[in-house]
Amino acid sequence: MSSLDPRINRLELPQIPGGEILKNQEHWITYEVFHIKKRGDHPVHVGCVHAPHPDLALVFAKEQYGRRLACVSLWVCKSSDIHAFSMEDEDMFYSAVSDEKKYRDASGFKVRDKINKFKKGNSDALV
Amino acid sequence: MYGGGYIFDKLQDNQVNDDPEKLLLFEERIARGEKIEPRDWMPFDYRRQLIRLIEQHAHSEIIGALPEGTWITRAPGFKRKLALIAKVQDEIGHGQLLYSAAETLGKSRENMINDLLNGKSKYSNVFNYPAETWADVTVIGFLIDAGAIINQITNSKGSYAPYCRALERICYEESFHLKQGHEGLVFLATGTFVQREMLQDALNRWWEPIMHFFGPPDKASVHSEKLMKWKVKMASNDDMRQEFLNTYVPKIWELGLTLPDPKLKKNTETNKWEYTEPNWETFWQVINGNGPCNKERLKVRMWAEEHGRWVRDALKTNQLTQSVPLA
Amino acid sequence: MHSIKNLLYNIADDLLIMGHRHSEWTGLGPILEEDISFSSLAQDKIGLAYQIYKILNETEKEDLPDRIAFLRNESQYRCCQFVELPNGEYDFSLIRHFLFDHAMDLRFRMFGKSNYQPLSFLSRKTAGEMKYHILHADIWIKQLGNNNEISHVRMQKAIEVAFPYSLGMFETFPFEKELIELGIYQGEQEIKISWLEKISMILKEANFNLPDPEKIKPVFGGRTGNHTGFLKPLLEEMNEVYSSDPETEW
Repeated sequence: MSSLDPRINRLELPQIPGGEILKNQEHWITYEVFHIKKRGDHPVHVGCVHAPHPDLALVFAKEQYGRRLACVSLWVCKSSDIHAFSMEDEDMFYSAVSDEKKYRDASGFKVRDKINKFKKGNSDALV
Repeated sequence: MYGGGYIFDKLQDNQVNDDPEKLLLFEERIARGEKIEPRDWMPFDYRRQLIRLIEQHAHSEIIGALPEGTWITRAPGFKRKLALIAKVQDEIGHGQLLYSAAETLGKSRENMINDLLNGKSKYSNVFNYPAETWADVTVIGFLIDAGAIINQITNSKGSYAPYCRALERICYEESFHLKQGHEGLVFLATGTFVQREMLQDALNRWWEPIMHFFGPPDKASVHSEKLMKWKVKMASNDDMRQEFLNTYVPKIWELGLTLPDPKLKKNTETNKWEYTEPNWETFWQVINGNGPCNKERLKVRMWAEEHGRWVRDALKTNQLTQSVPLA
Repeated sequence: MHSIKNLLYNIADDLLIMGHRHSEWTGLGPILEEDISFSSLAQDKIGLAYQIYKILNETEKEDLPDRIAFLRNESQYRCCQFVELPNGEYDFSLIRHFLFDHAMDLRFRMFGKSNYQPLSFLSRKTAGEMKYHILHADIWIKQLGNNNEISHVRMQKAIEVAFPYSLGMFETFPFEKELIELGIYQGEQEIKISWLEKISMILKEANFNLPDPEKIKPVFGGRTGNHTGFLKPLLEEMNEVYSSDPETEW
């Protein structure tokens, strides 16, 4: 078989055996990648890479996540080392935005009406 | 780049086993415009069809790297050469992002590649055609990538969060692909007689695969209705094809080039493009492995996996836990 | 200043051919992540070759970069034979990348202090890129040396094949002495000494043996235009489209 790709013609192409060709975990394990856009920024999760260990995970992450997007550093950690709540428990976090919890939010404290009323009362009294 | 989402499995019976209460909540969430995350409950068939969709997309990227890869060593001049290597590199990068998104649904990258190699899983038909001349590279870079962008922007509004996140990044990079393809094509179109001839010839050969790109005309079915409701399939094949024709045919015509379809024109009353239906029999033939390059494409991928094996094995880790990307 | 041209052609041609060899892996790498990384090496090499051809064009009044890169005859190329060899398997490609990039890195560090301003400027611009190439090479070499028997044997063999050729990177050339006297750089021997020191250290850490450089006959010839049979077909391929009509824009 002759390919139009001269690169390919330099290779000897194999037959494809049936069945399972790649074994489980032949592509190693996954590391989650976080990038830091500029000094002073939080690291932000951007994706993952397959790698056998952290050093190579960093080397891979550098090109996969740092070759196009501006960034000054990257973090990686094993996916299995991240502990997370289930998204299904999101109701547990509802209290952060709940109306009943206004007492710990700046918007729960309003004094302008009082002050205006007080000022108006005073000026009325002066008349 | 990609064109697909036209091969879905038939709905299976075991979907009736989905808990109706959970299904209701799930569908309400999607209707509210919320995204589904990997560890959410999801219907059996949602998971299955998404894996199918995303893995096809991923395969299309790594196989799609091959027809253009053909021209890396031969690309004329520094600018075209560097842009082409960067573009093919992006396709591999997109494959990496998409396999990771599919992995969050529980199918390993190894198994996806196994299914690609043994023919169980498909990829976009368009990559089973040869890139014969340099002009083919510009036609692929402009028109196929244009189709891919339409397809991917549409899919990026879907319901599965990891897929949407991957597509967001991919669409950003595709805009570079489209520009570099357009520039290469315009240089040929406005160049010498020989360059123009070469380009016209490439357009003539690629027109049918391009018309096949968005898949066969839609027929209303329960199947696609459900996938649309779940926001797995986001637009009909015909709508995407219309959008493509509307944006890109004028960009070919303005260069004084022709497309090999005498019927191709915009109907000013309906505002729709009219065209000769491409041969859909050919389309199915190619999907089923009988295109001009199917065998070579898979063998080349097999070569890469086979020759990379000792490298991967040398660094293999003995992890007890299964490793799945989180998001 | 004729003599500087020799040096610039040597380096640019090395980078151009090395970059093309590396680019043959794009899409075919051993795992997707490495495919991406290796492709960047290819781009950076070809990109740096372009920068040097640009110096030749703008400062030394040679022809345009595309024309000098893609229109010369085989015997006019000054690359060492080391970079012409086919990729073979990943073991040879990695070892070549390791040996080549350490030499290139040391060379460019030296250029940082050059009184030839275009080179010292380029040296500063590419320092970050070089750093990544070295990091990539070193991690792979260490991993493949220390992890498993098969890979260790393969890599050791590749080192033995590559080493005599790699010494060809330091082949002397006309006017080298003048360049040293002019303070352009300290010469090939100086680079070779630091290079041997650096690579021996890393190879030792990875449990590989470097053949004794005193007992090895370096493969020279590239700097005088004598090449292996592998260069010509590659050049024909590289130049195929461009040389079909060099007067037009592509």
